[in-house]
Amino acid sequence: MLRETGYAVTAISLLAVSVAHANQNQLELQQNPEYWATQLGNYQGNRFSELDQINRDNVNELRSVWQFSTGVLRGHEGGPLYVGDGRLYIHTPFPNKVFALDLEDEGRVVWSYEPDQDSRVIPVMCCDTVNRGLAYADGRLFLGQADNTLIALDAESGELLWDVSNGDHTVGETNTMSPLVVHDMVIVGISGGEYGIRGHMTAYDVESGEMVWRGYSTGPDDEVLIDPETTLMMGEPIGEADLGVTTWPEDEWERGGGAPWGWITYDPDLDLIYYGTGNPGTWNPDQRAVDGEPADNKWAITVFARDPSSGEVKWVYQKVPFDEWDYDGVNENQLIDVEFEGEERKGLAIIDRTGFGFLLDRESGELLVAEKFAPETNWADSYDMETGRPNVNDEYSTFRQGVNVNTTDICPTAMGAKNMQPSAYSPRTGLIYAGINRICMNYEPYETEYVAGQPYVGATLTMMPAPTENGQMEGRMGSFIAWDPVAGETVWEVDERFAVWSGALATAGDLAFYGTLEGHVKAVDIENGEELWRFKTPSGIIGNVNTFMHEGKQYVAVLSGVGGWAGIGLAAGLEDPEEGLGAVGVFSALGDYTKLGGVLTVFALPD
Amino acid sequence: MMVFARCSAVPLLLLSLGLASAALADEHRVTGDGIGAFVVEDGKVDPDTYEGYLVYTRACMACHGPDGMGSSFAPNLIRAAERRGWESFAGTIASGREVQPGQVMPSFADDPYVMGNIPNLFSYMRARGEGGLGRGRPRIIESMQEQDDEDDASVEEASGED
Repeated sequence: MLRETGYAVTAISLLAVSVAHANQNQLELQQNPEYWATQLGNYQGNRFSELDQINRDNVNELRSVWQFSTGVLRGHEGGPLYVGDGRLYIHTPFPNKVFALDLEDEGRVVWSYEPDQDSRVIPVMCCDTVNRGLAYADGRLFLGQADNTLIALDAESGELLWDVSNGDHTVGETNTMSPLVVHDMVIVGISGGEYGIRGHMTAYDVESGEMVWRGYSTGPDDEVLIDPETTLMMGEPIGEADLGVTTWPEDEWERGGGAPWGWITYDPDLDLIYYGTGNPGTWNPDQRAVDGEPADNKWAITVFARDPSSGEVKWVYQKVPFDEWDYDGVNENQLIDVEFEGEERKGLAIIDRTGFGFLLDRESGELLVAEKFAPETNWADSYDMETGRPNVNDEYSTFRQGVNVNTTDICPTAMGAKNMQPSAYSPRTGLIYAGINRICMNYEPYETEYVAGQPYVGATLTMMPAPTENGQMEGRMGSFIAWDPVAGETVWEVDERFAVWSGALATAGDLAFYGTLEGHVKAVDIENGEELWRFKTPSGIIGNVNTFMHEGKQYVAVLSGVGGWAGIGLAAGLEDPEEGLGAVGVFSALGDYTKLGGVLTVFALPD
Repeated sequence: MMVFARCSAVPLLLLSLGLASAALADEHRVTGDGIGAFVVEDGKVDPDTYEGYLVYTRACMACHGPDGMGSSFAPNLIRAAERRGWESFAGTIASGREVQPGQVMPSFADDPYVMGNIPNLFSYMRARGEGGLGRGRPRIIESMQEQDDEDDASVEEASGED
């Protein structure tokens, strides 16, 4: 049976922390282990469930209880929400349909909602028309549409309560992210780093949709909401004013990107939200240099800690100053409490695009650990722990190699050693579980001109599988790993043919779940990665595996439907660096394994 | 933007080069004439075909995949360009195409950058197909790059005050 006393104690202790704020609904819901009330499972982004009805001993009996086709092609990211009302709430990529499905009646449609959007938004979405899902609080569902309209729906009826425009798709601004409800605000970022937009994070009132604050990723301090005297960087006040302007060539910050399109996490105790910003403006680093030398291009590829009520920035950490590889820094910030060098620390862990696993202090923003989780990573040898800067390897510096020069064999690719697929963290094992990408690239920058609404990329690239060591799957492009965020070491890893582009789940049933691009959902032993169960869904999985309990029965549910950047880049197969040398067949094409089509599959144990 | 100026002048040049090379029957040199003319020589291409590659990566790759090879969302264009011919190729880019509900090729009629580069896109696709051009970013044939630069210079001189 379930450990009900344990849940109650946890709920009380967490409630005590944040009674000061009006809206407790989301926090209360996510503290109930039977619910999956927010995309990452909890504010901390842990994607961990206390449920253990499905466990290591019986997972081999898990079977699908029903499936539901969304009727939408293209990539299905995110996952279903369950808030205890007997329904699953799901969403689709463009046209961003929303469905309320009756969990007890094999997914019968209770209501559906389809926004009316300008289809011209489709060609300005860089990497598929994905959407990472709904947010919920107090009987309202929130959705960020592709065309930047943020909407609130009545969860009971599907009726539109309000809508507000968060951006302009005719200049290349779009939305793919899942908003987060904190206090009485719904907070959302923006996409468009490949179109020379200027990234921002914005909070809207949950009742009215009125804007509360907006913090930009680049530009003057008063628009980024930085105070150089109090905002910390590496544990010290920044000191210098307007670095979001001065670390760019003239006016380039205005098209400086830094789009925060990933996940937001929140610490109710410290009352801070955390998110990362994307790549700076054009991918051609030469156009972002100052006087011919690398410039930091702040605050692109930066972790921001903000006060959710005012947007003020508490601290910043720039993971990649002067990006030369499109290492878009949006990956989720896992909030975990750790023991580091004998001391209890409030940690923030990132399985980053760069191939490095970071651990920071989430109160001060100090860097504690930066180690490679993808050992092929070669753009930087290490991080300088005093300055927090990477020690960049000139051989793989696309700036040092130059414009119109093809810098080869850089690892990882612009897709990152891990993309947006959210990781899981088990407080029982202290480890992070993540699907990762094992792909390298050639990268050739070129001079490009900014035209509003046009791609502002300025580099071409080709990709190939990362080199393997003895005993690893030849030509593999992905792995599922267990990562020790304090030791900075991989504990175990399982290779996969394709990049693992799905969100992970860890449970108290000693299981970790993930999906593959071929379309398998897999359950593995959390101790060693041994596969215990798999199910082939109709299409590749880039969604997240979620779990919840209804009427005493634990369910696991996942959206399948291949797409995203993986659906573009891997569909036809990667470039073969050894072409003509007999390596035919090693570099598989995703198109040989799966086709489009969105389906929700719900699993449970037999009665 | 320079790419707009190039389109009209260079096909004539390519046409003449194409005729010359057919006579030489050089196995390292493959050319195609007419609209969407191209030259592929030892894996290198003429400047317009190269421009077509860049336009492809900016405007088409997000659906049609790297190097024209297709993706989960949209078909391989390498053979499609050849099969459908110029009018259908250009017409589809300008008007778009509804393949089935939810699977739509957008119209680029409002996009002057794409519209001005359709011949270059066609050159690149033909080079990938008939021309046997490989994947990735091609180099420009040096002698044609020099010729192209001279043409640009003379166009600028001729047009005067701009």
